[in-house]
Amino acid sequence: METSTAAAGTGQGEKAPVPRGRRPAWLPWAVGAVAVLACLGLQSQLYSGQERTVTTVFMFVTLAVGWNLIGGFTGYACFGQVGFFGLGAYTTVVLMVHGDLSFWVAWPISAVVAAVFAAAIGLPLLRLKGHYFAVATLGVAEGLRELVTNVPRWTGGGAGITIPSTGAKAPTLWLGNDGFYLLFLGLGAVSALVAALISRGRTGYALRAINQDEDAAAALGINTTWAKTVAFGMSAALTGAAGSAYAFQQVTIYPERLFDVNITVLMVVMVVIGGSGTVSGPILGALGIAVVSEYLRQHFAQWHSFTLGVLIIVAVILLPQGLVNFVRDAVRMRDFSLLSNVRRYRL
Amino acid sequence: MSQFLQATVYGLLQGGLLALIAVGFSLVWGVMNVINLAHGAFVLVGAYLTFELNQRFGLDPFAAIVPVGIALFAAGYLVQRGLINMVVKAPIFITLLLTFGLELVLVNGLVLLYSGDYRSVTTGYAGDGFTLLTGVRVPLGRLLAAAVALAITLVLVAVMRHTRTGLAILATGMDRGAARLMGIRARHVYALTFGIATAMAGTAGAAVSAVGTFSPADAGRFTLFSFVAAVLGGLGNMYGALIGGIVLGLVEAWGGQLLPGTLVNAVAFGVLVVVLAVRPQGIAGRAFYASRVEV
Amino acid sequence: MTEPEATPPTAGTATDESPVLRTEGLERRFGGLLAVSGVDLALPPGRTLGVIGPNGAGKSTLVNLISGHLKPTAGTVHVGGKDLTGARPWRVAHAGVARTFQIVKPFRGLTVADNVAVAAMFGPSPVRTPAHARREAAQVLERVGLGGRGDVPPAELSVADARRLELAKALALRPRVLLLDEVLAGLRPAEIDPALRLIDELRRDGLAVLIIEHIIQAIAAISDEVLVLHHGTVLTQGPPRQVLSDERVVEAYLGHRYTRKNRS
Repeated sequence: METSTAAAGTGQGEKAPVPRGRRPAWLPWAVGAVAVLACLGLQSQLYSGQERTVTTVFMFVTLAVGWNLIGGFTGYACFGQVGFFGLGAYTTVVLMVHGDLSFWVAWPISAVVAAVFAAAIGLPLLRLKGHYFAVATLGVAEGLRELVTNVPRWTGGGAGITIPSTGAKAPTLWLGNDGFYLLFLGLGAVSALVAALISRGRTGYALRAINQDEDAAAALGINTTWAKTVAFGMSAALTGAAGSAYAFQQVTIYPERLFDVNITVLMVVMVVIGGSGTVSGPILGALGIAVVSEYLRQHFAQWHSFTLGVLIIVAVILLPQGLVNFVRDAVRMRDFSLLSNVRRYRL
Repeated sequence: MSQFLQATVYGLLQGGLLALIAVGFSLVWGVMNVINLAHGAFVLVGAYLTFELNQRFGLDPFAAIVPVGIALFAAGYLVQRGLINMVVKAPIFITLLLTFGLELVLVNGLVLLYSGDYRSVTTGYAGDGFTLLTGVRVPLGRLLAAAVALAITLVLVAVMRHTRTGLAILATGMDRGAARLMGIRARHVYALTFGIATAMAGTAGAAVSAVGTFSPADAGRFTLFSFVAAVLGGLGNMYGALIGGIVLGLVEAWGGQLLPGTLVNAVAFGVLVVVLAVRPQGIAGRAFYASRVEV
Repeated sequence: MTEPEATPPTAGTATDESPVLRTEGLERRFGGLLAVSGVDLALPPGRTLGVIGPNGAGKSTLVNLISGHLKPTAGTVHVGGKDLTGARPWRVAHAGVARTFQIVKPFRGLTVADNVAVAAMFGPSPVRTPAHARREAAQVLERVGLGGRGDVPPAELSVADARRLELAKALALRPRVLLLDEVLAGLRPAEIDPALRLIDELRRDGLAVLIIEHIIQAIAAISDEVLVLHHGTVLTQGPPRQVLSDERVVEAYLGHRYTRKNRS
């Protein structure tokens, strides 16, 4: 599959043997730039079906990178992330259908709406720890879905709503497969860039410190409330932007699909399997899961979900800290045994 | 008025069933700090097992509670011992993912075996019922299901509070390290706990099969109900989960009367979020030390 | 070790220097339990206050109340004349108060140097870039005796080194007030003296040090003043010699005789 070429390209770049010492600082940026150029070049080689598949992979890269900001870096397992996806999507739809706004105006507004909403619910909810935060955010997402379903005047309710995207009445003409490929590629690349910049800067240190010990982080002068809210807002903005673009790509959207809790779970799976709290982990995880999932769908249609479940179980038990973290630790400790890895969290 | 009473009766009966599901979920959460996303799937495994026993041997669904309970206890014990114990010390989203994988396997396994169609187990009496003075109807099957659910829940709570094994489970839940020092085998205790929870889910599934239709797609809904009931009741608090389940049943039934469409669900989730933000120990529960960051 | 005579003990709270840390009537209730009640203290720069008391006397609660990790149910906390009662921990840190934790709290995913760099990045006079912060961290690590161990993950540190890291993180804040919660716990006798010397050095640099300890003799040696907490209230307060010979202290402090025997 063509997507796997892209995946392998990035993967090899990440692990390229660097002679002694730390890897040069420019290497990750160069790998990222090459990967984006490769994806641009790849486009002309794809059939339209494949092009749509790869576009979806880019979307999941965005979603995984977005979830990683709050779930991976900060350690707050948000199980309602799909709420921001749906919120971004429905903001766009409402603005385009009822406000007659261009997609290019609605898109950034949707990201901002998702971020502001996240910050607003984050102030009370980010004081909750662990499972409580997970459940509360899940509740918010489910509540949003019910809300959207129950105001059909604005959202079309459960029957769905269609964005006019052809003809003279369309606020913006549908972008076509090629257009959406570029749109989602750009979004994915920007997300990765945002994550890389946050990771290297002060905010990244603040988030990791909060993740590992919030009391100690606060004692060192980190405004934990602010840092967590910023992470949550950024994460929601990326997710909302993806939802907005997805809505326009789908043209007709339904609350059941836009607020599907399985989308959240997929984000979590991608981040955990790739390596949470790293920049490259979620990208690799998204590529890997998307490729495997697509392969299973094509070759074992019936067994697709079942096999995915088995793979998740195996992956979580063998590589609980994710691929990137495992490789990093293994190189440092010179211990590549999966067995000692499995022992880590066993009772 | 009679409509309201009818809704109340229906809500109480439904709530009893939800309570049985939620108590097991809450037990696992409280003792092992694991949110079992596959809990609803185990309810359906119980329902389909009952369906199978009924089809092959004509076994009554309420009689099937015993073999189904035993089978699911064994299955749960093995799943915990073999799978979940492998990552039980990992950060929470690891265990969440593992149980999600398990849910995918169980639900899609059921789809492969029985298709996604709705099934039901019919009995001669479940549809019967009697009418209370003001014209409120009480269906027999639901009454029986609620009664059985309540009985099992109360027995479990008694077992937890008054037997050696029960106390070992509670002690391990409070402090695994300390419990191990006192000679409690945590691995075994965890597996027992999970087995008890899946057995409760399975028996609830048997009851579910007797009172209505079911399909593998219902798994997520049952897990979500357990979530909400357990949170309302307070983490790991079994009486709390019991109350939470009944409250949930009532809220659903009343809301269905008062609010248009499925808006009642939005209200329920709103209540859930507010309860969490304001009172994370639940409406009935005690404070839990690690629930909140104090900064 | 620095002789206690080297610094004239201050009697009571009446000093010509104005205190950088002052609490008045500090109180914290947990349900029905009064963990800390009516604690008044005033700590000028360049002075060390030792706080002792049996287990459960409220020592760590006192530190948490000052550092903002717990909110007092009554009373006030002032740092440098600024009211910080019930302020969030980072505000207290920005006001120049650094603390260590009784149970060490390293950031396990960061290296030793990055642990300290975080403090340099977010303290009262924050350094903007991680690279600059790491240079600062290296200096602080050198000072506490962890030079050359910057690239190690905290999990590989010994008990004593983990305590040093805890101290290094506090110092990288460049604080005016240092709250030390049992920094000597778990150290071997040979490791205690250098630690005490370092703490006394910091005091001479002008820091106000509040140190909580079980080892009475150690605390007496470097403290200008000792405060005894018992059941959350101040039993007595004064120069070390006077406090240690107080019969009420001997009576209340059951660990006292045991400690003396071990130290000899």
